[in-house]
Amino acid sequence: MTVLLQIPPAPSAPAARRRLPPGVLSLALVPAALLVLVALVGPLVLPYSPVDVVDKPDLLPGAAHWFGTDASGMDVFSRTVAATRTNLLIGLATTVVATAVGVLIGLVVGMNEAHRGPLGLLARGTSRALDLLQALPAIVIGLVLIAFFGASVPSLILALSLILMPNQARLVRAEVLRVRGEAYLDAARMSGESELVLVLRHVLPNSAWPAWENTSLVFGSAIVLTAGLGFLGVGLPPPAPEWGSMIAIGAPDAASGRWWSALFPAIALALTVFAASAVGRRLFGDD
Amino acid sequence: MAGLWAHHGWWIRRLAMLPVHLVLFAVIVFFLVKLIPGDPVAVLSGGQTMTPEQYQAARAALGLSGSLPAQLGTFLGRTATLDLGNSVISGTGVLSEMLTRLPETVELAVLAMVVSLVLTLVLGFLVMLRPRALVSRTVASYSRAAGALPDFCLGVAGIFLFYSVLRWAPAPIGRYDPLLNAPTHTTGFPFLDALLSGDAVLMRSMLAHLWLPVGVLVVAYAPMLIKLFIRSLQQARDAQATTFRIASGASRSMVLLSITRRALPATVAMFGTIFGFMVGGAVVVEQLFAIPGMGEYAVQAVTRSDFVALRGFLLVVGFLSLLVFFFVDVVTMLLDPRRRSGAAVTGG
Repeated sequence: MTVLLQIPPAPSAPAARRRLPPGVLSLALVPAALLVLVALVGPLVLPYSPVDVVDKPDLLPGAAHWFGTDASGMDVFSRTVAATRTNLLIGLATTVVATAVGVLIGLVVGMNEAHRGPLGLLARGTSRALDLLQALPAIVIGLVLIAFFGASVPSLILALSLILMPNQARLVRAEVLRVRGEAYLDAARMSGESELVLVLRHVLPNSAWPAWENTSLVFGSAIVLTAGLGFLGVGLPPPAPEWGSMIAIGAPDAASGRWWSALFPAIALALTVFAASAVGRRLFGDD
Repeated sequence: MAGLWAHHGWWIRRLAMLPVHLVLFAVIVFFLVKLIPGDPVAVLSGGQTMTPEQYQAARAALGLSGSLPAQLGTFLGRTATLDLGNSVISGTGVLSEMLTRLPETVELAVLAMVVSLVLTLVLGFLVMLRPRALVSRTVASYSRAAGALPDFCLGVAGIFLFYSVLRWAPAPIGRYDPLLNAPTHTTGFPFLDALLSGDAVLMRSMLAHLWLPVGVLVVAYAPMLIKLFIRSLQQARDAQATTFRIASGASRSMVLLSITRRALPATVAMFGTIFGFMVGGAVVVEQLFAIPGMGEYAVQAVTRSDFVALRGFLLVVGFLSLLVFFFVDVVTMLLDPRRRSGAAVTGG
């Protein structure tokens, strides 16, 4: 929730983006590529089952258990690696859904806001409703939505998309309002293009880029929110491996001096957010 | 009269929007609750068989009888009269529960907000005036990295370091030593009550219990404010207005004042959002430090699928956020008249 809704990215024109040499590009992508690799291959090469008690509880990290075992005797390494797939899947799916729906809503609202009649009224109402949704703490909306729809991977993706979509929609809407008055739209209209083709061919490519540039932030927020809900105990039900619930299980351990069961999922979480923002910085320039 | 409107219209217009926002928000919450799959009465009865009369009575009590517009009307009417209903599970009034729990959470968020504000001002000026100092560079790079470590990770790390290893903080359980008596209830805000009661022992215990959770919130969320403040300070410093001040021979303090005056509105405008983060963060941190606030209530309601309690929780947090956004807007418009809506029209 920390990374969510930071100041919207500075409105730099897409043409002004820096072109970086390919070597720099690949270096910034290394953490992200590693994470994807772990998510894809990791669950196949686990030393222990990630959902079963495999040894005595509270074992220190060592040769048998690289990251130690948690309070119930589950292998922290296996669980951290297995959780990578779950958390990345939720984060990626949320980013795709939130961006797609956000762009769509932003386009529709932006194109219809100035209309008279019920359509314009509805568009302005939606615009206000999006503002209001953003006034609420994301974790609070997440709590309530999960309570209503139950905790599973699809419902988490749905709930997080609903939380993160308004920001994308607002970014696109602001861009549509700017693009709407451009001369090339008038030219296209006069050459006889239908309104739908006009929106798809001219408005969409010219107004979707702020949402596209914001995707790394949305991904980071989705990762942190998933873990936050898991931490509050309303995420995927245990013993499903998930970083947030692992940190929650590790919290009382940390209070009694056993640092390892919370530390490793926390590192994985921070690394993921860092990797996402590194990719974002490289692809879209700084900020 | 026209002059009065020209001078005060901007905040009256903003004030008039507040109830509109509140109603719109309540409508959103109503339809959100409508989306819940399943029959709420079935959840309420816990699978026991009910006669049709009992069933109808239960629906009416939950405000679920009649057509959809009628249900919406009932809901809005009850919300307007501050009737948030009774918890489906425990049967206690949602509003009374909120009134005892909200101050706990808000106090935590407000304390963190105040500390963040002071820190932002001090560190922002430090970075601007001494950009080469080690502290400045540390602050600047930390504020850029803000957000990678979420509040709950910082909380667990804080408890491990300061309670388990260093023993600087007491056990993370509650607001004060469980052996002490609760402060006499005057305002409902525990720390303020302890201050007012003048109980030095209780106050010391509260401070000892408070500094870590407040510190976690500050470390997690203050960097966003600091980053923004540094950026707007630098923009204001590089603006022509500053060059003009210096060229016209203004004293150093006057130049600084001018920079601050131009840098503040953008930062203040973010306060509403940051306060939202603080409340959200407090909900999480409460869970970690076993503070009986809104977060605990919401998590309990989620695990028992208590939709009435959750609806009340959402309404209370939403109304609080909207109220904060209103005050932030007014203060921003006070600081920077250009942000007042219709300023160009009435100013002419």
